[in-house]
Amino acid sequence: MQLSELLGCTVRDAGSHQVGTVVDVRLAVSGDLDYSPSAPTIFGLVISPRTGSSYLGYERSEARRPMALSAWLRWRHRGAFLALWEDIGAVEPPTIRAAR
Amino acid sequence: MTASDSTFPDAPRPRGRLLDARLHLLDRQLLDDDGAPVGIVDDLELSGAEFGALTAGARPPRVTGLVSGHVLATRIFGGKPPPSRLQTIPWRLVAAVATVVRLHPTNMAFDALWVEHWLRDHVIAHIPGGRHAAQ
Repeated sequence: MQLSELLGCTVRDAGSHQVGTVVDVRLAVSGDLDYSPSAPTIFGLVISPRTGSSYLGYERSEARRPMALSAWLRWRHRGAFLALWEDIGAVEPPTIRAAR
Repeated sequence: MTASDSTFPDAPRPRGRLLDARLHLLDRQLLDDDGAPVGIVDDLELSGAEFGALTAGARPPRVTGLVSGHVLATRIFGGKPPPSRLQTIPWRLVAAVATVVRLHPTNMAFDALWVEHWLRDHVIAHIPGGRHAAQ
């Protein structure tokens, strides 16, 4: 499996209701990123309910500059959330189904 | 690079750092141990999960390699490049992840930049001053 097969997938909950699109995949890495980091594992999926475009990292920081871009992206991705991998029930591109 | 705090609520913190694959890895420059560019991170190879229903309690997929290759045409026109146009670089070769991804010394041959090399040899070299590096 490649990462690109997860990005852009439509996510549905246990009741088959569409909840959003995978816009990024959050990875957990142990060790120092500057010294031979260990292989990352998938921690969860960043899901945006309204768009499949990138959030450009604004959801992960308090950055507000440039203001116009920040405001646009926060509005465009309002309601975005992180789904932990343990809550994923099935990966069937172009659909990912939540376990609960 | 530092792992910033997530503004998403109630996410447990794993041990180690958090990276967003699209934000922190994709499209990053790959440099060999001499600092020479050898490609771009175009995709990530994952192992430990297959398509279909996941087993409850199964270990999450692990990144086993960086995929680099010729993806410009498929990015513009869609589709997926054939495997022969992609090269997987094992994660064990990754020395550091920052604004660029640095690799450990390796005998691996990187062919992802042949277009750039062809342009250098056949186009740039014919431009006056194009046969030596800028001073």
